[in-house]
Amino acid sequence: MKEEIVKIQQEALARIAEVTDRRGVEDARVAILGKKGVLTMAQTGMKDVPKEDKPVVGQLLNDARKAITEALEAKLAEVQALADKAAVAGVDLTLPARSLPMGGLHPLTIIRDEAIGILRRMGFALAEGPEIEDEFHCFDALNTPEDHPARNEKDTFYFDSGKLLRTHTSSVQIRTMEKQCPPVRIIAPGSAYRRDEIDATHLSVFNQLEGLYVAKDVSVGDLKGTLEYLLRALFGADTEVRFRPHFFPFTEPSFEIDVKLKVSGQEPRWVEIAGCGMVDPAVFAAVDKERGGEPCYEGMTGFAFGLGLDRLAMIRWGIRDIRALIENDVRFLSQFQ
Amino acid sequence: MKISLNWLSQYIDLNGLSVSEMSDMLTFAGIEVEDIHQQGVDSPLVVVAQVVEAEKHPQADRLKVCKVDVGDGTLHQIVCGAQNYKVGDKVPCALPGAVLPGNFEIKVGKLRGVESCGMLCSASELGLPDKEHGLWILPQELELGTPISSIVKADTIVEVEVTPNRPDLLSHNGMALELAAISGREYKPVLVDDQNVVLEPAGDFVRLENPAVNPYYTAVKISGVKVGESPDWLKERLVAIGLRPINNIVDVTNYVLHELGTPLHAFDAAKVQGGLLTRAAADGEVFKALDGQDYTLNSSDLVIADQSGKALAIGGVMGGEDSGVTDATTDIILESAWFFPSNVRATSRRLALSSDSSYRFERGTSAWNVLRGSVRAVELILEVAGGSASNTLVAGSPTPNPAYTNSSICWSDSADGPMSLAASLIQGKGAPVEYCLGCVKMPWAKLDQISSATIPHEEGARILSNLGLQQIQTDSETWVIPPHRLDLTRDCDLLEEIVRVFGIDKIPARFYGPFVPESSVDLAYDFQMKLRRKLAAQGFYETQTIKLIASESADNTIAQVKDAMPIRPLMEGDLIRVALPLSEDHSVLRPAHTPGLIAAAVRNSNQGMNGLRFFELGRVFRNTGGGKGRDIETETLGILVAGERNPRSWADARPAQASFADLLAVMEVLAPGHSFTLSPARPREQAALGADVQIDGKACGYFAQLSLARCRELGLSQAVYVAELDLRKLQEVLTAPVKAKELPQFPGSSRDAAMELPLSTPNADIVKAIESAKEKLLVSFSCFDVFVDASGEKLAADRKSIAYTFLYRDATKTLTAAEVDAAHQRVLKALTDKVKGLSFR
Repeated sequence: MKEEIVKIQQEALARIAEVTDRRGVEDARVAILGKKGVLTMAQTGMKDVPKEDKPVVGQLLNDARKAITEALEAKLAEVQALADKAAVAGVDLTLPARSLPMGGLHPLTIIRDEAIGILRRMGFALAEGPEIEDEFHCFDALNTPEDHPARNEKDTFYFDSGKLLRTHTSSVQIRTMEKQCPPVRIIAPGSAYRRDEIDATHLSVFNQLEGLYVAKDVSVGDLKGTLEYLLRALFGADTEVRFRPHFFPFTEPSFEIDVKLKVSGQEPRWVEIAGCGMVDPAVFAAVDKERGGEPCYEGMTGFAFGLGLDRLAMIRWGIRDIRALIENDVRFLSQFQ
Repeated sequence: MKISLNWLSQYIDLNGLSVSEMSDMLTFAGIEVEDIHQQGVDSPLVVVAQVVEAEKHPQADRLKVCKVDVGDGTLHQIVCGAQNYKVGDKVPCALPGAVLPGNFEIKVGKLRGVESCGMLCSASELGLPDKEHGLWILPQELELGTPISSIVKADTIVEVEVTPNRPDLLSHNGMALELAAISGREYKPVLVDDQNVVLEPAGDFVRLENPAVNPYYTAVKISGVKVGESPDWLKERLVAIGLRPINNIVDVTNYVLHELGTPLHAFDAAKVQGGLLTRAAADGEVFKALDGQDYTLNSSDLVIADQSGKALAIGGVMGGEDSGVTDATTDIILESAWFFPSNVRATSRRLALSSDSSYRFERGTSAWNVLRGSVRAVELILEVAGGSASNTLVAGSPTPNPAYTNSSICWSDSADGPMSLAASLIQGKGAPVEYCLGCVKMPWAKLDQISSATIPHEEGARILSNLGLQQIQTDSETWVIPPHRLDLTRDCDLLEEIVRVFGIDKIPARFYGPFVPESSVDLAYDFQMKLRRKLAAQGFYETQTIKLIASESADNTIAQVKDAMPIRPLMEGDLIRVALPLSEDHSVLRPAHTPGLIAAAVRNSNQGMNGLRFFELGRVFRNTGGGKGRDIETETLGILVAGERNPRSWADARPAQASFADLLAVMEVLAPGHSFTLSPARPREQAALGADVQIDGKACGYFAQLSLARCRELGLSQAVYVAELDLRKLQEVLTAPVKAKELPQFPGSSRDAAMELPLSTPNADIVKAIESAKEKLLVSFSCFDVFVDASGEKLAADRKSIAYTFLYRDATKTLTAAEVDAAHQRVLKALTDKVKGLSFR
């Protein structure tokens, strides 16, 4: 019996040593320690062992089981480690990424959203108006007389109906004031149209962001504060901003706003970014007249501004040809994501 | 407009002012500076030289080694590449140390190994207009060594854009007055004695038939003039600002226009029969202008005619070819008049004929300047061409600025008399011309308001006074407006002047505003941005295409109307077309996004891209009622999917092609918790497949697969799927308030079913049948396999196999297998009952 146990142990350990995979370990465990395994069978022979030998044989059996179990476990760990290693052996980490479909927002959307975000934080709400406008909202109410150059059919897209494609988003100022009394604090992004031949710097359809703030006591200081904040938020806190006196029919005084553009390797230069001014009283008068009833804009003050979003995008990303913004070439679009 | 600083300095002290200071001064006066360039050189080292010798350069065929004499007793060796000179010619020579325009300093150097001690110059290298190609060949009589600056004075030319509200700045004198007021520099006005000029009613000599357009006309007859070349000083002024000297008479009229801003015209008196007549043109009247072109006029145009009726000039725009001053002219009639701005503008626009005169008239000239210009021109003509002048013949009278007709403050304020003296100007002797000025009241409180009380009143008053306004003695808030400032008619105009000159940089910024509630536009914007971001995350690029598209174009990268047809029917008149498109490629407002998306797809496909995934959000346009109804602007979302699902890579060497289901899938990503369904409809024009799109059973847009024929035309080999969804409808469904649902407490059990049914039976019938069972325990179901076999081997060719999985659950308990089976059987029964030819496998 003793010899038998020793033999079983030796053979079992030898078998385990030869095993190379997890399956082999399992098979060996069943064959040795399973219900009908050799060691289990040998154990059943304990009942035939003389009483005085029982402690010794029992001890031998226990030792054998322990040794075999340990061997099995060690083997299992060994083959598992090998298998784990083999599982990742063929992986070539130097292969490039597989490709997923890429997408992204249009640069005009990105810059517009940024500007809108800043202005909304400053308490402006969004407003809108039609792109197919009438002369009243696009010109008359904005103090632009009938023979003003902007009203020429060479510069403006008219329809046979007499309506036109708005030449600026300023018409939304009128649309908004018609509907509500002050305070008015709105921004209106949108398309505007001018009868310009499309080239590297002109589009016949372009994008603007209009702003209007009307209340009892709005000053040039409010205009300045709002626009400086907006432009510094867009271009960086240390951006230099200047207001150049200018002329627009619907604001007085009027200014054009330049920011100092610093591109490495270039002389810093002023670039025009927006037009603005204090709302001309003639605009308020036109709105009050159109509203009828008790005038609510008389004696009010306000400022308005218009920002060219296409230009903003071009300056932000150094886009040289404005047509890139309407061509939607993915090689272009993919640069802004 | 071009300003010569030499000329300008005649009227304002510009001493010590650098070019950049000048530029800033103009900029902050509100005058846009477009260009500043130096003309000519003032360096004494650029001199007259004579080419004494010119030998071929030993190393370069195109260069010559010249020896030139600059009168200093030695010959200078200069290598030169020009071809247009010969030995003996006199040319400008820049000696070492000279600085040419563009800060280009001349140094001794070697050109291809030969020493060159200077540069022979062309006119353009000296900042002057090029007369010939190559070196500037100078007149032989010039003495060697004479500095070029003594022949052509160096000048700085500033090109500015004057805003339309400031016609008074369209002259050198006007500009000087403005800059003097802003800078405090000394103003040296042109002295024009318009007080003592002798006026005489023109009587029959000048008849104004259309005083509404031409209310005021003056003429001076000057006889015995000697027409010839202008003196150098006059030519120099005109050449500096880019004008071509013509003869002394015409040159004087141009000079005065640019000096005082008064447009003038000189007629050859011999070509004028009787006197002058200003009248409306006859419809169809043809006029040959001095640019040699024929112009067909109509009755809205004004002509200056003689008393035979022959038109001599288009009023305020251009003179005639036949009546102008020539070398043979001895007597002239000098016109100085006032024309109504909008008429001049209309004529100039319609005829596409613009001149320095029309440019000023259409912006508004001051009637005050009419006599001043005339007096100044007569003085100069007599000086440069001799002759003797008649009295000034005056027809009509200046009209006051119509904007003042309502402002009675000035004269109601003064105790007696209808008008205070300060508010009128008298010109001329004999029959004086009285020119009315305006008064404007500007409450100081308004200045405090607009400037947040940062501009002291004294400062405001000082600014206005410097600009030529007079504060009236009895009222510190009322100002008399100077006659050249047509734009100052309201208090806000005066406030603008003060703020502009004071400088906005000195007004502190303020940051406050009222609380404004979120608008419906805010909500729509946020919703749309969310969609944009989701679509971008799904691998779609957002396009922004131009909203004006082509009705048809041979260029497939241009959006065209027909590509909207798969998505929406286009009736006659639906489309909104601009009246005068710039090109047919951009003539119709887009009725849908698909044309732009397809154009973008073609453009990128042409660049070798296969998987095309684009979207666009924004407005589309159509008219209701066949062009007679309202113009509708709708916000929609357009999506396009075509080609490979994934970009090809080592991990996916043969990517699958996208199908309609990819488009449907991305829509579902936009609306988790909701379901999109397509209800097939008859395909529209240019479409292979078409369907209405529903979200949770509500119509919200259209879907189409582009017709294969159209794809071939466009050069697209991929199947192209498009959808257009109404954003307002989507927003309604997708922004409905959400309540979190409790998670199920008990497990569910699923059962699968494989069905075989006729190939032509749509999946929608199965869905309908399942729903018709109204099985309470069924919580969800989905299709997980579709199998067809065109060969008929594994399945009859006219049959298909569809597999569904069903999930059953009871909210209150764990279902037994028997309960689940029973429920499943009820669903299967509904399927067999409702779907013809369906069997289970």
